[in-house]
Amino acid sequence: MVPGRGRKWDRIRSREKMAGIKALVGLSFSGAIGLTFLMLGCALEQYGVYWPLFVLIFYFLSPIPSFIARRLGDDSDAASSACRELAYFFTTGIVVSAFGLPIILARVAVIQWGACGLVLAGNAVIFLTILGFFLVFGRGDDFSWEQW
Amino acid sequence: MAGFLDNFRWPEFECIDWGESRNAVASIVAGVLFFTGWWIIIDAAVVYSKNGELNPAFHTCGVMSTVAFFMINAVSNGQVRGDGYSDGCLGRTGARIWLFVGFMLMFGSLIASMWILFGAYVVLKVNVYPGLAVFFQNALIFFSSLIYKFGRTEELWA
Repeated sequence: MVPGRGRKWDRIRSREKMAGIKALVGLSFSGAIGLTFLMLGCALEQYGVYWPLFVLIFYFLSPIPSFIARRLGDDSDAASSACRELAYFFTTGIVVSAFGLPIILARVAVIQWGACGLVLAGNAVIFLTILGFFLVFGRGDDFSWEQW
Repeated sequence: MAGFLDNFRWPEFECIDWGESRNAVASIVAGVLFFTGWWIIIDAAVVYSKNGELNPAFHTCGVMSTVAFFMINAVSNGQVRGDGYSDGCLGRTGARIWLFVGFMLMFGSLIASMWILFGAYVVLKVNVYPGLAVFFQNALIFFSSLIYKFGRTEELWA
């Protein structure tokens, strides 16, 4: 079977696209759940303050080091590179910071501990979603910006 | 009696292929330690800076540790050994001096944080938590730099 020609190849490619769409729907659902936890931590009657929304900055920053590393150094087939490892280092830092900020806000009683717990749960779900995006849509023989 | 543990072997955990992902795991662990250290000092600064319990000058240790971290990890082990096709901007001897200064700053900050803990908190019998925060920040950054420097193998870059 020659890749790229024939009905069998079309069926395989359409199954891959279907799997891609299912993963996309699943990931967007979990993203919505994570953001729901975050908003609950801010908007419930007994909490009412919106300081935890600052973790949204960390959500947006977290994929950036990986994107930079892929753009700068994707030429060789090396298993790893110094650039990619530095990107992992900073990404981990951004994730740790997104967990640290609500804890510190709760320590100084700017938010309540219940809100802190909800925000931490939302963080976990969102970062697992972002990781899922990278695992499902980031690999592939030809990393392109549109996977389907 | 001597050598009675010679034939002991750790149990095998072969479920994950650690070989290829060793560098990634080391980078992630180093990242967790480094940023946890910084958030510990941020926590202490937020909670304890009202009455001067945490003298702002004590942040110097953490800053110097961070500078030292990036100095230590800016040169690869290959540069220091003299492998590689180019000399880099400093050459092999320059790389060694850079690494030496980096490690001296790192050890110096660690010792300074211990001194601060004991000299400014334990001996004076005040609330010891800010001193512990300074010490743990520097200790975590120290271990993070060791793991980032020596936990990764450069063979995976080839």
